[in-house]
Amino acid sequence: MAMNVVVLVKQVPDTNAIKIERASGTVQPGGQHVISSYDQYAIEAAIRLKEAHGAEVTVLTLGPAGAKDALSRALAMGADKAIHLVTANPNASDTLAVAEAMAGHLRGLNPDIVLAGQGSDDYEGNQVGPQVAELLGLPVVSNVNGLEWAPVGQLTLTRDIEDGRQTVEVAPPVVLLAISGLNEPRYPSLKGIMAAKKKPTEQIATDVPVASERIAWSEPVAPEQTIAGVMVRDVPAAEAAKQLAGWLREQKLI
Amino acid sequence: MAEPERHSGTVLAVAESDRGGALRPVSWEMVTAGRAVADAIGGPLVALLFGSGVGDAAGLLGAAGADRVLCADDPGLANANSEAASAVLVDAIAAVRPSVVLIPGTTLGRDYAPRVAARLRAGLAADAVALAVDGDALVATRPVFGGRVQTEVRLRGPGARLVTVHPGSFPAASPQDGVPQAIEGLTVALGDLETRVRVRDTVAAASGPVDLDRATIVVGGGRGLKEAGNFGLVEELATSLDGVVGATRAVTDAGWRPHHEQIGQTGRTVAPRLYVAVGVSGAIQHLVGIQGSDYIVAINRDPDAPIFKIASFGIVGDLFEVVPALIDELKP
Repeated sequence: MAMNVVVLVKQVPDTNAIKIERASGTVQPGGQHVISSYDQYAIEAAIRLKEAHGAEVTVLTLGPAGAKDALSRALAMGADKAIHLVTANPNASDTLAVAEAMAGHLRGLNPDIVLAGQGSDDYEGNQVGPQVAELLGLPVVSNVNGLEWAPVGQLTLTRDIEDGRQTVEVAPPVVLLAISGLNEPRYPSLKGIMAAKKKPTEQIATDVPVASERIAWSEPVAPEQTIAGVMVRDVPAAEAAKQLAGWLREQKLI
Repeated sequence: MAEPERHSGTVLAVAESDRGGALRPVSWEMVTAGRAVADAIGGPLVALLFGSGVGDAAGLLGAAGADRVLCADDPGLANANSEAASAVLVDAIAAVRPSVVLIPGTTLGRDYAPRVAARLRAGLAADAVALAVDGDALVATRPVFGGRVQTEVRLRGPGARLVTVHPGSFPAASPQDGVPQAIEGLTVALGDLETRVRVRDTVAAASGPVDLDRATIVVGGGRGLKEAGNFGLVEELATSLDGVVGATRAVTDAGWRPHHEQIGQTGRTVAPRLYVAVGVSGAIQHLVGIQGSDYIVAINRDPDAPIFKIASFGIVGDLFEVVPALIDELKP
């Protein structure tokens, strides 16, 4: 039986296009929404598992109606089917509420491997992946930048941690969180884009509890510059260097 | 209706050891952060360390300022994964009933903190760079959108509130700040949790991209260096600061430096304690990659270079004079 691989994806504002409004310090998303960058490595990894060893790849997202574009792109890259948990604003809920909504559907899918990006480009909590693993009672391997389906029936994964490059082995079912370096995500081909139109996407209206008693948060704002910058000019290089070395010592940076 | 469980006012700060059983630097910062929150809410600070052969390291946590020290010392925790670490923390929380749990924002901490939050249905703020107490709320400030903006997360409720703390955000406590405490052993039933993910090996990283991501000090060189051969100045400065070398896109595109050293929107994002920009004008594409730095020092001959707008310390001058003078100043 083919492996059952589910990839969790999030659609985010293109962080290259966001603008920070000077007066208020608030974030103005640019026009475009994209698949969060680490999730693209997760999709690519799933498709490569399918191509090399046979797998059925399902992409799952939780998001507003527009998030269907993210699913279409994943299908065009080579995923087989998509599930869209439709909710107006996933960012109004905390990660645990999001993880619970996703885990609820994952249980029914009975995946061998759940792949996701390490974190999303926007809120960068890096929490949904481990929380999904916890709710499903699965191990999680984070920061995956190397993946091999070997020895038979096992995954050999590499990850860069504080102590160096770690190699781990794990047997499915497992949750894997991808980071850059894992692969080069492909661009959808024209053929892939055409094929995607015929692939099934299931839409399920999903009610996710909004920020709860346990947690709430403010709109993001640009941090104030708390340190008034010291500027040294019109002094000889040796004097400037001396002042800088003194400042570095004062700030305990050296 | 039963009274809701009152939180104890206790702060539990989790430390972390390296493979050799020594405290990671972030552990000292966790004591500082924990002490500050405990003093703000008027409760005791309990430190927790888990691992294999970590008894001596745990002893340092009391001396650094914790009021109590818990230690789970078990050969099964030598290569702790998120499930085993979660089991330890859940048990410690049950033993201490803390109001606040501070967890290092390390690779491991950011794996097990979410699991524990899910198990306890607790609020969790990720990767805090500052903490404050406001009435009955714990307020964690955290960067989002690549560190370009920040949000304030307010954690409430009767149970434990969890926070992972970004390494390098708090000053390190020293083992002279407090008094040594007796170590309270914590025995955790690990079952098969340690074996579901098997660590085959861990190879200490040679120099490379890893260094750049985790470096405390990064020296970045830009087009102002004029040619590849002059990058030796940046390397020499990095060596004397005990830091690592990075580069702007202009530099890597020109082939002066390898692509993996590129910092910025299309390269790596760094968040060191100190970023030294040498001959870097400060194009937006580069600034995005360094904005998480705690301190930015800029050396550039153009007083209008955008890098000076975000620099904590700027020198307007000729880098070919200033950098050698600085290297001289830094000699012990």
